[in-house]
Amino acid sequence: MSVLTTRPPDRTAGPPAPRKGRARRRREQQWPAYVFLSPWMIGAVALTLVPMAVSLYLSFTDYNLFDPPHWVGLRNYTEMLTEDPRYWRSVGTTLLYVVVAVPLKLGLALGVAMLLRNLGRGRAFYRSAFYAPSLLGASMSIALVWRALFNDGGTVARVLDAVGIHTGGWVGNPDYAVFAVVLLTVWQFGAPMVIFLAGLQQISPDLYEAAALDGAGRWRQFLSVTVPMLSPVVFFNLVLETIQSFQVFTPAFAISGGDGGPADSTLFYTLYLYERGFTASHMGYAAAMAWMLLLAIGAVTLILFRTSRSWVFYADEEDR
Amino acid sequence: MPEPPVLRPRRRTFLALSTLGATAALAPLSACSSDDAGGGKGVTLTFSWWGNDDRASRTNNAVKLFEKEHPGITVRTSNADFGSYLTKLATQAAGGGVPDVVQLDYRQISQYAAGDALARLDEPIDAGTIRTDEMDDSFLRTGTYQGRQYALPMGRGITGYAYDSHLYAKAGITTPEPSWTWEEWADANVRIHRLGLHGPDGRTVTGSNDGGTNEDVFEDWLRSRGGQLYEDQRRLAFSERDLTAFWTFCDTLRKEGAVAAARDTTQAKSTETSPMGRGLAAADFTWDAPFPGYPALLGEQVHYGPVPTTGGRAGAYFKPSMLIGIGAHSAHPKEAAQLVDFLLNDHRAGDILGFSRSTPPNRAVAARVATTLKGAEREIYRYAQAMEKYGLADPPTAPPRGDLAVQAAFGRTYQRVMFGLSTPRQAARELIDQANRELRQ
Repeated sequence: MSVLTTRPPDRTAGPPAPRKGRARRRREQQWPAYVFLSPWMIGAVALTLVPMAVSLYLSFTDYNLFDPPHWVGLRNYTEMLTEDPRYWRSVGTTLLYVVVAVPLKLGLALGVAMLLRNLGRGRAFYRSAFYAPSLLGASMSIALVWRALFNDGGTVARVLDAVGIHTGGWVGNPDYAVFAVVLLTVWQFGAPMVIFLAGLQQISPDLYEAAALDGAGRWRQFLSVTVPMLSPVVFFNLVLETIQSFQVFTPAFAISGGDGGPADSTLFYTLYLYERGFTASHMGYAAAMAWMLLLAIGAVTLILFRTSRSWVFYADEEDR
Repeated sequence: MPEPPVLRPRRRTFLALSTLGATAALAPLSACSSDDAGGGKGVTLTFSWWGNDDRASRTNNAVKLFEKEHPGITVRTSNADFGSYLTKLATQAAGGGVPDVVQLDYRQISQYAAGDALARLDEPIDAGTIRTDEMDDSFLRTGTYQGRQYALPMGRGITGYAYDSHLYAKAGITTPEPSWTWEEWADANVRIHRLGLHGPDGRTVTGSNDGGTNEDVFEDWLRSRGGQLYEDQRRLAFSERDLTAFWTFCDTLRKEGAVAAARDTTQAKSTETSPMGRGLAAADFTWDAPFPGYPALLGEQVHYGPVPTTGGRAGAYFKPSMLIGIGAHSAHPKEAAQLVDFLLNDHRAGDILGFSRSTPPNRAVAARVATTLKGAEREIYRYAQAMEKYGLADPPTAPPRGDLAVQAAFGRTYQRVMFGLSTPRQAARELIDQANRELRQ
């Protein structure tokens, strides 16, 4: 769009057409675009914008799913911020999770991607094998298997018992339960791994050769070539994983049996939101929580973008 | 080989992607309940309930008989444990997709009826599709909302206490009488713990499950001291002091090892996963309806005893154990009514279902089934008769709408006490704050 309006007048095509005609021609040129866009636009309006507007409205109401919503102004917001200890518990659990799970997952994804890069034969096989958990992992069934693994008497507890560590099942213990969820997420590192792999393959071998000629060892090459060249990809993965981690739901739901227990130790933000909305029938409160989450994710993303200026290296910046 | 294009990600691309990702935060939690009844011919009904395996197999058998009697009607059943059942039903109700025939808790009636999620049953009752002439009018009233019938009771229940009589004899504890007290109960738990028996995983067997996590146990305890849970639809009738006293009582017993350990209480979601079901405790507070599941799992030495009293004053009371209703948006209300009638009034269905939902509301069915009762079900029947004779206070009025949430909060808040994250007093304060917020709506 901006290209059209800022393009200088075409001098070779004779005198410029009168303003009205040009505007009409522009409309004529644009209508096919709108026709092709319409399925997306209808979807965006009906499935995103309207629900968002409704959700914003509901966040200022008391709505129990059954009776018509009843306007309460800012009460949902003030209640969650000042009166509800569980709200802050869910915020704490979610932040702990984001801070632990995201670096672990990205670290693992990058490490495996670097191993696979140098692999000749069988790379396709390993890539698929490591990617598989990402496809399966989001499902309820895997989360339930995970719960069984970490239950009292489950495989993990037995193996730990055998080596003398008695945890008695992670999912029944508030000190460990959240880490069962963390491990389930970290295990699904396939998606960022594939993106890292693509990024690694784009780094020109010339750079490594030049670095090697200058006497750089493997570690030095990693720090001076791989890290800066890969930084946009790292940034991309970091932003996406952070946003996704704030919204973690399925594993927490399955592992805690839906209630965020034991003792609220797996009460993730979205799980509490769901519980407020569908178990306790406080849809207005749940909507207010969703908007607070959107604001928080927006703020965190903004901070990531601000800090990225100092550490993300874009190849096209040299051209300017 | 051509040089691969150099990857040049730009800020703008990232910004756009991140915005998309963030918007997903607001994407509504999809209810995903597409109940497509397959097949062009015939009628498919959905029927859902909660309960243990024993109830599931009996209910499925009764449904099979119904299908045989009514060719052309297929019934798709689904069941779950109580907690997940409630959540699922609330989600379905929000989407207008309540099953055609649905088992309901006493605490759900007012909310679901007021929210137009349930069909009125007055018409099928007047038309004789659902017969109620063999049921007590006063008991039928528990399924009404603003004078209209929305659900019918499926059974009359009472709280009690499943215990292992062998272990009780071994510890020298006399058979629990209807007048036994909370102190005697606490003492029994300590004695069982002192036997030093080992459970399947090597830990010492405790006396009972931890009642602190269960609002029903608290209610019995409170009523035995002359209190009650609710003043009216908006106010609690107990104080922070009452709850602190109860939770301190439970907390102390658990710390002594007399009742189940915290990690076992958090994992107890059914008969099979309860501390008693796992061989880690000698007793379990439970409703009469799921009781037959215990002897079925653990053996004939498990009996059903009364809940302890305070100085002989009993806190237990009779209430509709569960009710049955018809979804307001059912496409086949007539067939749904036929199924409801069959489950409640058909003698053969009564024989199959037995006392799996405690005493059937249909007098004729109850009398008929009572003569054929054996084992655990006979025990429930005798227990109810004994308690009737012993004398129980009148049941409280129907609980307020927010009670389901309060009940969930009760167990959850006590978990903080179990794991040492709150003192009983702090937890009691928090529960009362939460309950007041739930009741305010």
